[in-house]
Amino acid sequence: MIACILIDGFELRAALLERPRLMLRPAALAPSTGEEPLLGPVTAIAEASGVRSGMRMGEALATCPELVLVDRDPARAEQEWEGLLRRLEDAGLSVEPAERGTVYFETRGVERLYGGVEKALLRALKAVGPEWDPRAGAAARRFAALAAASVARPGQALLVGEASQARELLAPLPLELLPLQPRERAELRELGVRRLGELAALPAGAVAERLSADGREAWQLARGGSGAKVQARRLGEEIVEALAFPEAVANELTLRRAFTALLDRVLERPERGGRFIRKLALSAQLVGGGSWRRTATLREPSAEPAKIKAALAPKLVELPAPVLELRLELVSLAEEVGEQLELLQAAGAEVDRRLRQGLRQVRASTGSGSVGQVVEVAPWSRIPEARALVVPRDD
Amino acid sequence: MVAHSGSTRARRSAGRLNEPRAALVEAAFDGKPRSVNRFLVLTIREEWRVVDRWWTEEPLDRRYFDVVLESGQAVVVFHDEERQGWFAQRA
Repeated sequence: MIACILIDGFELRAALLERPRLMLRPAALAPSTGEEPLLGPVTAIAEASGVRSGMRMGEALATCPELVLVDRDPARAEQEWEGLLRRLEDAGLSVEPAERGTVYFETRGVERLYGGVEKALLRALKAVGPEWDPRAGAAARRFAALAAASVARPGQALLVGEASQARELLAPLPLELLPLQPRERAELRELGVRRLGELAALPAGAVAERLSADGREAWQLARGGSGAKVQARRLGEEIVEALAFPEAVANELTLRRAFTALLDRVLERPERGGRFIRKLALSAQLVGGGSWRRTATLREPSAEPAKIKAALAPKLVELPAPVLELRLELVSLAEEVGEQLELLQAAGAEVDRRLRQGLRQVRASTGSGSVGQVVEVAPWSRIPEARALVVPRDD
Repeated sequence: MVAHSGSTRARRSAGRLNEPRAALVEAAFDGKPRSVNRFLVLTIREEWRVVDRWWTEEPLDRRYFDVVLESGQAVVVFHDEERQGWFAQRA
């Protein structure tokens, strides 16, 4: 079975770890700087006062004047999320994180270890920790598992056995569970479709014609979704260097020097083993409690300080507030420890090796599943979409 | 932390290439397309019919047209007799 662990408003909870009392007040995650002024997740009290996630800030403050806006803390959220995933992995679960607050795993490998699916889910909930109010669901399909987790109570695990049970579970659930654009959701609502069961009952062609590919995918999910397997992430090691300032620093020159010092230190770390760097993250603890984080994927893996500096240092000007601590993290490393410049034009296996290297770089930048290979399966077919498949290349 | 690169945005199952998309097609009395997504059809290069998988729960019954539009684009459109709708894909 596929299991899903769901934590509502993960980013808000992470930002409130230092101020847990705010969880008992109407509070919401403030919009990101430079983005549309829409609220992030909100506390249960705020929701009871009529404030919703995604609401315009002005409207929310008019609805609930005592609403507290909480600054985003992306570095803390990333740190907590990674810690949570590692706790699950320590419990023997091979996890596939979907987005912060949602993680999937396959129960088959641990059912015998823990004595059944339900016990494995309860073990996973324990590993996450009660302070996050996690909910668990398990079903034959991924979307049904997500739906089960979304209706479970905090700390509860809900199992959905057969396909008919999954359909019964999905039918009364709202359309918000589906990955649809707000415009498409509104269009369905105007047509009187408010529940997954109502969408599932429509003919596929009609939905596809009205809402194109997204609609068809949503329709499929409303009927239980596809049987896509869980792809567990590979474990990594942590290479981070941090520098805490005695007092908040806003001067760009000082920050650049601090960044250079961090870079020198992180490049000297023995865990790197001379490997080139693919992707780095620079984060900062800001004065006033918030945090800031930027990542950079290098055009090609490198361990040259000048190249890395050119990619990441300009981002320091985007810092919105003085910094208390600067942190540099190696997010992804290449296997290579050196690069031979070419005397003769590369050919054959060498070109192939470089192509693979380039593809790995693209994956580091855009995520797993972003590189695919077109495989002709029936080029003679009179059904055009049956002629070829795109097979993901994660090697 | 050195993690598996981008483990959070996965869509890893093999996917179809050139999936048909719902299209706005104006058809003539004989069922042949006159315009596709508001572009006039200049010529119909080929026409064929596929009736397949009738023994399954997802039978196929499609009337295909390989057309050239006034924009110069070559497109394959088909009328899905099962779903009663028009769809288009790259030629």
